[in-house]
Amino acid sequence: MTELEKLRKAKIPCPETGITVRHTLCDICTPDNHCGVDAYVLDGRVIKVEGTKEHPHNHGLLCTKGAANREYIYREDRLRTPMRRVGRRGEGKFVPITWDEAYDEIVRRLDAVRREEGADAVAFFSGYTKWYRTLLKRFAYSFGSVNYGTESSVCFDATFMAWAATTGSFAVPDLDRAATYIGWGYGPHYSGHLSVGGMQAFKERGGRLLIVDPKITPAVKMADLHLQLKPGTDGALALGIAKVILDNGWADMDYVEKHTAGFEEYRAEVQKFDLKTVEEITGVAPKLVAAAAELIATGGPACMHQSASPITQHRNGFQNYRAILALLALTGNYDCPGGNIPIHFTYNYQAAGFATREREYTTATRPAGDRTRIGADRFPVWNLFQDEFQAMDLSRQILEGTPYPVKALFACGMNLLMFPDTDQLRRALEKLDFFVDIDLFETPCTRYADIVLPACTSFERGEYRVYPSGHSFYTKPVIDPLYESRSDADIITDLARRLTPEDTLLCQGYEAAIDYILQDLSISVAGLKDSEFPVMTPEARPPRVGLTRTQGCPTPSGKFEFSSTLLARCGVNPVPNYPENLRRPEGGRKFILATGVRLPNALHSRLHKVPWLRSLRPEPMADISLADAARLELERGDTVRLTTDGGSLCVKVNPTSTVLPGTVHLFHGYEKANVNALLPADWLDPCTGFPAYKSIGCDMEKCPAPDGEKG
Amino acid sequence: MKLYLDLDMEKCSACGACAVACMDQNDIDPDRELPFRNVFCVDRRDSAGVESVCASLSCMHCADAPCVPACPSACLAKDAETGFTLYDNQNCIGCHSCAMACPFGVPSFNSQGKMEKCDGCSVRLAHGMEPACVRVCPTGALRVYTEEAYRAVHGSRSILRVLQLL
Repeated sequence: MTELEKLRKAKIPCPETGITVRHTLCDICTPDNHCGVDAYVLDGRVIKVEGTKEHPHNHGLLCTKGAANREYIYREDRLRTPMRRVGRRGEGKFVPITWDEAYDEIVRRLDAVRREEGADAVAFFSGYTKWYRTLLKRFAYSFGSVNYGTESSVCFDATFMAWAATTGSFAVPDLDRAATYIGWGYGPHYSGHLSVGGMQAFKERGGRLLIVDPKITPAVKMADLHLQLKPGTDGALALGIAKVILDNGWADMDYVEKHTAGFEEYRAEVQKFDLKTVEEITGVAPKLVAAAAELIATGGPACMHQSASPITQHRNGFQNYRAILALLALTGNYDCPGGNIPIHFTYNYQAAGFATREREYTTATRPAGDRTRIGADRFPVWNLFQDEFQAMDLSRQILEGTPYPVKALFACGMNLLMFPDTDQLRRALEKLDFFVDIDLFETPCTRYADIVLPACTSFERGEYRVYPSGHSFYTKPVIDPLYESRSDADIITDLARRLTPEDTLLCQGYEAAIDYILQDLSISVAGLKDSEFPVMTPEARPPRVGLTRTQGCPTPSGKFEFSSTLLARCGVNPVPNYPENLRRPEGGRKFILATGVRLPNALHSRLHKVPWLRSLRPEPMADISLADAARLELERGDTVRLTTDGGSLCVKVNPTSTVLPGTVHLFHGYEKANVNALLPADWLDPCTGFPAYKSIGCDMEKCPAPDGEKG
Repeated sequence: MKLYLDLDMEKCSACGACAVACMDQNDIDPDRELPFRNVFCVDRRDSAGVESVCASLSCMHCADAPCVPACPSACLAKDAETGFTLYDNQNCIGCHSCAMACPFGVPSFNSQGKMEKCDGCSVRLAHGMEPACVRVCPTGALRVYTEEAYRAVHGSRSILRVLQLL
């Protein structure tokens, strides 16, 4: 091999090889990460990726998913052209059409629905990812529809609502100054890799780590104490910990008296959860509950990190979450050094220490009609806190037509397999007058659309991002858009020019939107584009600690509300509680099934067809405990039938010591092992409308063969 | 300068980022070829109970590599400077002698039947870059050590512990 051949094979960027390194970001997962990526480009094609060392957020690191960006962006099933459906809905038969033909038909059809049924009869939905949501929301409102909704109907929003109902703002752990770190349902290794380093550093300086999780995750191996509770029983555990704290006189009564509201009602609820009751419900031994209480209350400043959504994905998820938050107030760890510090979002679900005009941009054209959003009547708590429809009521409203008909759907990246009772949504999509879906790939959802439009990835566009460090980043495309694909934002802009021409700001497109949002700041799109890397936003400031202790919380009472004023107004129990009917989460069945528990190589359904990632776990497999495997005489690769009140499916098993006996974990989004179909459409938290993905009663029996060879 | 490509087993979560980065670096199609690096979690039983052990494995670059003398075509050699087990598969006859000699079964064979394996990203190292697996590792478990640094690290966390587990 010649020296040049060696350089080419090793993909060394240099003049001899012609390989250049260009900077972009990974848009596979949540805005919490969006790691900087170095794309190695040769002849207009990405030949390798690495994390960007100069990036202030990921410092060169990537996770399993991000490392697979090259295969992700070049997936063979990328949509190549706009397409019109020619087969029946769901069949997947399409013919290519031009962009103009697609736009003309979308405009004609959406206009017709708007004219005949009213603009609210068109629902606008965003799946993953979230980068264009600012524009989509304004587009929905300018079109005249109150119905803008997102996949956040099942993800982060319930977490946000629990904070909003309790303290008025979201709050993050001040890990650098904490002595105790509570990771409640939190395991960063497979979902938030950038937090692993902080956890390691915390441990190395002698901090004590408490993990509450039904699984033995890699984070549990780092923990000083692990409470391995039954899925969904978090509220009972948190109330039980509170009782130990109160009984021992460990509560910070000075904080409670000065800064909280509703303590007596909370104390009365706590009294129901003695250690014996807690053990019966959660399965956690009394001595471990007591040890956790002592650690949280007496171990110095304690901060808490909860996962983005799993805690809220139970029948009592919202109240469970509030019961966990109450521990911060009880121990005086809210808004203090080493506790949890309130933050405010800057842009696109991220707090970067400065304010933008994102909210003004998205809400300026909100229609003033009298129709309520989808799900507003069924989920009043959701409707109070969220400025979007609750997507878990979408299929019902389409099918039943009440309180008014929804006839058309404009969706970006919609994931059919996210929805409980997937067949109900399929029936709803079949009933629509018109459905347009924008995506990167052909999916089970695009097969139902009348018009499908090809979007491009973050590598093929420019976009604005903010990071918690205060940095702003405006990326530039590192390759041209593949095939005929266009960016989601450009597609929305093109359609806005045809459907909402009176909204001149929206019609100016994405960069104009960002410049509008940044208008009070010293940065602009043009200036940010001059830099290859994120730049510090001059106006960014670190969160101010202790402000709620002097100026009060942004709640109706101005206090940390054990008993929530706003929940009481919605007719919901205002005090964190754990209901009698969930004392046995498995109900009448033998196991608790949790869907979507994180795997390192998967995110929703979007990575199942990436060969590098699929090779790490080639088939859908249910993780079960060693004890249950032994009892049912199951070995790795054997097949079981899982049955719930929603249905049944057959899947292979992976017995592992990381799983609690009595529980079954199966990742979602596999077409041939679609586990979310096992959840009935109404298997929801009644407060938030969130599906109880993480706990449903389930039976498991050995069966001859799986439903599908590959998912 | 002798180098060691080692894994801190206490930090590894078998997330597989290293395996994916390796496939990206080496253009491996896992549907047709064997990856150079693999991750796994196994349940290990001892007197204290059962523990899930995570690891990432590739060529161990043995000091006394049995694959080197096993090759009839002299494709494999120890690099005098780094100590990595390198190869030039131009003369490989695809006899699999190296794979049979390797205690870990590391050498794999591409669609032309020629041997391939981890070369420690030696060309990257020569250009001041880390091996792809080390560069990506989000927990800092995989690292390249100089001999001096390697001796300072306590061996109980090294990938050599895998030998006791297997």
